[in-house]
Amino acid sequence: MLDVLYQPLLWGLVAVGIPIIIHLINMLRHRRVEWAAMEFLLISQKKHRTWIIFKQLLLLLLRMLAIAAIVILVAGPVMRNWVGRLIGSSTTHHIVLLDDSFSMSDRWADKTAFGEAKEVVKKIGEAAFRRGQDQEFTLLRFSGAVRHERPALLQEKIKTGFDARLKQELDAMTVSETAPGPGQALEALGEILDESEDQRCIVYIISDFRSREWEDPGELKDQLAELDRAETELHLVHCVEEARPNLAITSLAPAGGIRAVDVAWQMEVAVKNFGTEEARNVHVYLEQEKGRRQVATIRRILPGQEVKKVCKNLVGQAGPYQMALSLGENENDSLALDSFRHHVLDVPQTVPVLVVDGSTDFRDAVRISTALSPGGNLRTGLEPQTRAPGVLSKGEPLEKYHSIILTNVSRLDPTAIAALEQYVDAGGGLAIFLGERSTSTFINENLHRDGDGLFPVPLANKEPVELRRELLDPAPDLQVENHPIFEDEAGKPYMFFIRMVNVYRYFAVRDGWQPAPDSDTRVIAKLRNGAPLAIERGFGQGRVIVFLTSVAAKRPSIDGSGPPEVWNDWANNPAFVLAMQQMQHYLCPRASIDASQQVGSKLVVQLDGEEQAGRVGFFVPGDDAAPIMPDDVGPSGGGAQSVSFSDTNTSGIYRVEIAGSDGGPAENRYFAFNVDAAEGSLATLTRDELAAQLKGVEYKYAQAEAFKYEVDETPGENIFKYLLCLLIVLFICEMLLAYSASYHPTARPVLAAAKGGAL
Amino acid sequence: MAQSKRFFYPEAIKRISRLELRARHVVEGFLSGMHRSPYFGQSVEFLQHREYTWGDDLRYVDWKVWAKQDRYYVKQFEEDTNLRCTLLCDVSGSMRYGKGAMNKFEYGCTIAVSLAYLLLRQQDAVGCVSFDESARMTVPLRTKRNHLDSIVQALDVSEPREKTDLYQILRNATESYPRRGMMVLISDLLVDRAGLFKGLKMLRSRGHDVMVFHVLDDDELDFPFTGPTRFEGLELPDVLRCNPRALREGYLAALNAYLEEVRRGCARNYVDYALIRTSQPLDAALTAYLNNRLGMHHKN
Repeated sequence: MLDVLYQPLLWGLVAVGIPIIIHLINMLRHRRVEWAAMEFLLISQKKHRTWIIFKQLLLLLLRMLAIAAIVILVAGPVMRNWVGRLIGSSTTHHIVLLDDSFSMSDRWADKTAFGEAKEVVKKIGEAAFRRGQDQEFTLLRFSGAVRHERPALLQEKIKTGFDARLKQELDAMTVSETAPGPGQALEALGEILDESEDQRCIVYIISDFRSREWEDPGELKDQLAELDRAETELHLVHCVEEARPNLAITSLAPAGGIRAVDVAWQMEVAVKNFGTEEARNVHVYLEQEKGRRQVATIRRILPGQEVKKVCKNLVGQAGPYQMALSLGENENDSLALDSFRHHVLDVPQTVPVLVVDGSTDFRDAVRISTALSPGGNLRTGLEPQTRAPGVLSKGEPLEKYHSIILTNVSRLDPTAIAALEQYVDAGGGLAIFLGERSTSTFINENLHRDGDGLFPVPLANKEPVELRRELLDPAPDLQVENHPIFEDEAGKPYMFFIRMVNVYRYFAVRDGWQPAPDSDTRVIAKLRNGAPLAIERGFGQGRVIVFLTSVAAKRPSIDGSGPPEVWNDWANNPAFVLAMQQMQHYLCPRASIDASQQVGSKLVVQLDGEEQAGRVGFFVPGDDAAPIMPDDVGPSGGGAQSVSFSDTNTSGIYRVEIAGSDGGPAENRYFAFNVDAAEGSLATLTRDELAAQLKGVEYKYAQAEAFKYEVDETPGENIFKYLLCLLIVLFICEMLLAYSASYHPTARPVLAAAKGGAL
Repeated sequence: MAQSKRFFYPEAIKRISRLELRARHVVEGFLSGMHRSPYFGQSVEFLQHREYTWGDDLRYVDWKVWAKQDRYYVKQFEEDTNLRCTLLCDVSGSMRYGKGAMNKFEYGCTIAVSLAYLLLRQQDAVGCVSFDESARMTVPLRTKRNHLDSIVQALDVSEPREKTDLYQILRNATESYPRRGMMVLISDLLVDRAGLFKGLKMLRSRGHDVMVFHVLDDDELDFPFTGPTRFEGLELPDVLRCNPRALREGYLAALNAYLEEVRRGCARNYVDYALIRTSQPLDAALTAYLNNRLGMHHKN
């Protein structure tokens, strides 16, 4: 049916009678002429009577229709039936895509970007409510689209009570701690549009339009262009006017040291200045069970610069250790959420190190163990465990070891080699010392395998060689590169002790060997004669360091008959202790990975057994009262079971409790979730920049503060333009018909016969 | 006297006074004048020779021919006579229409008076009949100069009214004026065409030289009316309420056909025809007409 927006104006339809009234008045007001030549008039009237009456009636009808069309035009015509659907849509669907990423918590004065966005949503809802009832409203949050959640308001009919419902939803809505972009929201929008094919859709994207997401829109632009093709009206509402400065903790990771009870270890915190001005005196605080204390101060961070700061920590009790670093109040910090970084560390009493010694007297292992764990009051946190090479073949899990050191191992069976390779590949650290039992043939064929194995370098196929003594040559035997294992905790090489190291025997590498330029194999120490002595390589996620000499200074002769052979005196030098300690820090890169997860990602917990799945409960940060059941339980490979939990939309420490069987003690596991630090970049596009990026996409732009509901479309199809066209056609027809019916002046032709004159 | 000058316009008369109104056909006058008579008489205008018969006047024997051919021939001359012109002036109701300085009636009467003046000045005899359904006033043929007043007075008292029955009028004129003369019909001719042509034919069959002044108003020729109008017939009882513009095209087509029919009818009967608009200056209209007629006369 045809409806109008301003129904009182329909009284104007009374004016449709005006042409009839004018006609009647003209009938009364006609001029009276006494006429002589009635004969011709009567002939003409008789001839044209029917046609004239038809044209006059048609003209009258056109004029009445024109007046009716004008009145309806002014009243705002809306078609609400199949015709409306045919020419447009009967229902207007307002679809609001609301950016609730945490960058929307940008604050200035007493306002926040998200608060401004909610005001805009409220304006849209209220205005739509005032316009009529054949409208629908969908409110889709960016974070909800990422989680494939059903929108808070989905195709909600705008009717009585809608405004109250919208207000209730908005009041309960807070900015999320996730950093979803508009991409997935636009994908969800596509699905909504597919379901709204017969509706007129108006899409509002209310966002802060950060440069990070919109500077190179790419796929976003294509998605927006799709809206154009779907004849959907697009409004972009910008909630911030300018970029504000912001500081964010971008990472928190163990930096060095062995994490064990009563051992000082280091945490490296990275703080980035996303602003355009220099930030000064940025204080970093550590929050833990004992309270909050300042652990570092960064004097200066240039715009766009990320500064890393190392801070020490000491834990006096074994177990999971929860902590959070935060930034102090700073005028250059606009967002609070990215100024926190949560972390969970499992601090053991000691860290086991497996020392596999191939000699019968474990002489090397003793040296190494002493270097790693000197005993007494000096705690390194390391717990060397000496084993024979056979331990590697027993299938014992190696992951529990912080690192593995092989020394003087003559042979390893394939099982042991595979276990070692798997261990290193998974991120473990391996150090290999040679000795009188080592054979180049075995190493080349089984450990090096032309570069496929763990051993980084092929050895020359001969016995260990002697390093010739040059009494007049003052150069030290051991010449090291800049490498962490040859540097102290302060990062300075301890050259004094290194220069005193003497090396007498070593295994030579194959002639002509040089590390490939594109490989991660490198020589980290050489001998005086240039022969490589220590080589490292990456293997999978782990590292391997080999020393082509022995640990112990004197070794028995190979056949056992001769006097002991002197290989080196390194083990007698303090440099050996330092190198072993530093090597433990260096060998295990897994320790330096920021193990926290990003807010919104799925929390997957590996279980020891299938029966544990029913005993798992999740506790979100700040709510330790009632456990939440896992979302999903499934195999995780290798016959193990895993459970997952998706509602990780809050940053903090999540606790997973695995109840013990038969009333046994529960096992607790802790997982840290942090916000996406990149979202802390508050750089935003200006209107012109946005227009340049979205060139070709048709949209209307508005700042949130100045936003006004200016949608002239109403529920149903507003047929204003169609009616206007009809009116123009009516007027043209009226003019033509009136002209045809001789109601317009024309140049009167004088008939030839009527010019007068004699015959 | 003021009424007697109603249709007398000295300015117009002055402009046309140098013109002559000559009969195109032979007329039978009663005085010697400037028009050709059907009878042979004494005249300077030689016409033909005829063989002498008994009783012919010997004064007209052409002795030069006798000397050459030894046969007697007598010379015959054209006889000139004066004109007997009857002005038939339509004073029916339809002649009342007109919006300018003069309506059709006044214009027609002025034409009649102007022609009467010209004729009387030529020593021709002029009579006048005003008519509608029947002859309303009849002024006999006279040659005296003061006869003009009689004509003017006769026209002046003839207010337009009633219908026109032109056939009857022309038939009466034919019977009333048996001698050949000039008949000048001044009318809007809004009559039955068959009767009109029949009457004209009757006059022509009696040898009268017939002139028709067809007087129509500009409105009738151009039909310029706009706006709703109620047309009331001046002679017919019909009333028509219409939008004149809508009917204009059909009206003009019918009028054109009518005028064409009248022209053809007049031409068929050898009747001089002149369509005159009342907006035309009278002197200009008469001058153009009379000059044209004079030219035709000389050609004859």
